[in-house]
Amino acid sequence: MDESNHWYGHSRILARYCGLPDEAPKRIQGYLQHGWNYLHGFPPNDHWCSPGYPRFIWSDTLRRRGWSMGRRGHYLIGAPWIYLLHQEPDLGVRPDREGTIWYPFHGWEKSSVSGDHGRLADEIRNVETGPVTVCLYWLEFANPDIRQAYKSRGFRVICHGDRGSRWDGKGRDFLRKQLVELRRHRRVASNRLGSALFYGASVGCETAVYGDPMQFEDERPEYGGTARRMRLWPEMHGTSVDPELAVEVARQELGFEYQATPEELRRMFGWKRARAAAPPSGTTTRRHEAATRRERRPAMAALQQPEAERPGRRERRADRPSASARQNPPRGAKP
Amino acid sequence: MNEAPENVRLIGGEMLLWSDMSAVAGVTEWQGAALELIRRLLPAGGRVLLVGPHPQPLVDEVVANAAAAAVLLRSFPDACALGERHPDLTVFCGRLEALDVEEPYDLVLALDGLLRTHSAEAPASAWKESLAALAGLVAPGGRLALGVRNDLGVDRFLEARPAGREGGDDQWAPHGFDPSYPSGPEALDQGIESAGLTLRRSYAVYPDRQAPRSLLSREALAHDLPDALAFTLSAREDERTLVADPLRLTRLVFRHRLGERLAPMWLAVATRPSQTPEAPEEPEELPLGLVEEKAVLYELTPAGARRLPDGGERPVPAGRVVEEILVEACAREDVKTVREVLTDLAAWLDEGGEVSAATDSLVHDGERFAAIGPPTGLPYPTDPRVALCRILRRFAVRLLAAGHHHPWPWPLEADQLTLTLCAMAGRDCDQGDLDRARKLEAELGLPAEPAEHAPTYRDLLRARDRLTEQLAAAVARISRLETKLSYRERELVRAKAKLRRTQRKATAYRRTLGYRLTRRLARPRKVARRVIRLLSG
Repeated sequence: MDESNHWYGHSRILARYCGLPDEAPKRIQGYLQHGWNYLHGFPPNDHWCSPGYPRFIWSDTLRRRGWSMGRRGHYLIGAPWIYLLHQEPDLGVRPDREGTIWYPFHGWEKSSVSGDHGRLADEIRNVETGPVTVCLYWLEFANPDIRQAYKSRGFRVICHGDRGSRWDGKGRDFLRKQLVELRRHRRVASNRLGSALFYGASVGCETAVYGDPMQFEDERPEYGGTARRMRLWPEMHGTSVDPELAVEVARQELGFEYQATPEELRRMFGWKRARAAAPPSGTTTRRHEAATRRERRPAMAALQQPEAERPGRRERRADRPSASARQNPPRGAKP
Repeated sequence: MNEAPENVRLIGGEMLLWSDMSAVAGVTEWQGAALELIRRLLPAGGRVLLVGPHPQPLVDEVVANAAAAAVLLRSFPDACALGERHPDLTVFCGRLEALDVEEPYDLVLALDGLLRTHSAEAPASAWKESLAALAGLVAPGGRLALGVRNDLGVDRFLEARPAGREGGDDQWAPHGFDPSYPSGPEALDQGIESAGLTLRRSYAVYPDRQAPRSLLSREALAHDLPDALAFTLSAREDERTLVADPLRLTRLVFRHRLGERLAPMWLAVATRPSQTPEAPEEPEELPLGLVEEKAVLYELTPAGARRLPDGGERPVPAGRVVEEILVEACAREDVKTVREVLTDLAAWLDEGGEVSAATDSLVHDGERFAAIGPPTGLPYPTDPRVALCRILRRFAVRLLAAGHHHPWPWPLEADQLTLTLCAMAGRDCDQGDLDRARKLEAELGLPAEPAEHAPTYRDLLRARDRLTEQLAAAVARISRLETKLSYRERELVRAKAKLRRTQRKATAYRRTLGYRLTRRLARPRKVARRVIRLLSG
């Protein structure tokens, strides 16, 4: 459906959850929200999400907001992360968690961020007491200057890798790697509220948001900017955040209460053998499947049905035209 | 987008990309009646809070007259626009439950109700919770005016497509599933009491919740409402598809004394008891009712009505609306009554009756006519015959447009029907009078033709039935003609065959020897006769 459905190995995680092989993920008939977001789950210019296909989103706030902005066909399933946690309750769990994993806000393939990494690294060094791992997005990781800015302060610099696509396995273990790293650290921090922070909070990391939030070169005004994030989650900002509250916010934002069953996901994604044309609601799927079943039945019935039953069927069919003729006499036709 | 004027305060739950001004439902157009009520509620030197979207004239009025005013809106663009318009006004932007004020207000106005105080940023709270939050903003001794849409209002019966079920952009949490929402006037009273407020007066709001014009208190509706009042309390919007003509249904509502229970909206005025119970109760000055009719505001009084701002009190004219008397008579094909009423009407006009009156704005109590609304004076006297012609033309147009049954047997144009009606009133009018009547109509600014409406569902059903009947008749006629045609064709075939037979006989006769011989013998004689004629001529 859309390439973003397969980023960060999301489709593979969900395929595994649904009991399907995760080597070559199937097409998801709909649009999967691929990152935490405080608009409606998708970027403001979401014209590529054609109406009629469901939008699989993480939380109900996004649904309400999206609805008020004219979007329809939302379906709440929570973040793929919660399915990964469901599958990997023990992956990377260590008794001796230590240090901080720090995610500087990153750009993406089509837009980079502007900000001073050197100054940010200084600020991190002033705040963090334990060892620090800085996790960069692959774009920033590829830039030796940025890498050096953090390395020179004695930080360990890592990268979870490319976010991948449906056709190559590159992004396949992205979230798994992230899970292992998060479970290894005691704290997760960033200069902007984002997916990584909520992921961290959901696996028991303390959280912190501080430092220059950096700017996208062409950040869309629809989001409302840093000021809006500060207004919506004032308590999530700062060098130390109440851990219980962070867990609660993460539960809401990642949609833990909306986790769907494997069968439900198979049906909603169009992964059942009887392919539905990815309708926006479950009822249409059922109707479509019923229609498919009806289509198949005559041939099967003709093969299986004993001879004696067939004339009856033909009789019924023969009844129909006469019945309709009885129903619709032209009114007032009689002279 | 994020640079708000200084007087706009974001309190949480603000909707960045949303406006209640342009949204599907739009702002409730409170007009004269609500303004008048607010004028009476405004405390001298008090602080006023407006909760939810209100029309601009109302906000302007409050800002101009209150010592300190604040507004709560959920939409960020609306809040910014209002903040820019009124730099002294405090504009809170966000959801009601998130509003935390230091000092409560002497008057809280939530005429739009509580539904639009919720925001998409948080789950919608129940009506009772919102009311509790609202009541918390009222200072002891302060007042609250709260609008509440009736889920079983007469307008709900009329809508072909209920707005709440259309899945518009404002329906992220559709209304109608909240068990704490008031299910009637009593439930509303209870809700207000349990929020710690004392109800002062409860008004039924008519004619609809988009543009309310009249407020009628429970006390005023306890008795039969005079027809002259009830007739004006229905409205017809142009855009919405309706199930039925609102006029008839609303009339029934009042006749059955369900005016309060089936009001499209209620407006409750309540006070928070003051903390010093020994303080004397201030005398209640809330009006019994406020009715707006053609931009003129009347206040209902126990004895009648008073024209505002400074008119004298006079009783509401009794009697039935003339149009209803006539329509009823037409339905019974009772031409005698029509003749009598029209004759009386003509006589009344001759004696100097109101020229700008119409059958739908006149009441008749069996003896006298009385105009419902204020007169529209003309600078010069008018021929009563032309005035009658205008009134009857208006009635004819309305009668035909509404599709009422009438006794005049052939399909009539309105003009022809008008002349017939004039004749029934004993005044012989002609085309010239009709033209003058049209001119008078234009001068008065009261067009006879009702505005273009989308047909109601019942109109459509009736039109379909009528077309079915016409089609049946046409089919019957065609079938009769077909039979006739077949008969004629058969006749024609028979006649043709007869002709052919005769022709064949004639040919055979010409071929006979006797015939040919006679022709031969005759020829020399013919030649000789021609020669003789030539020679002699």
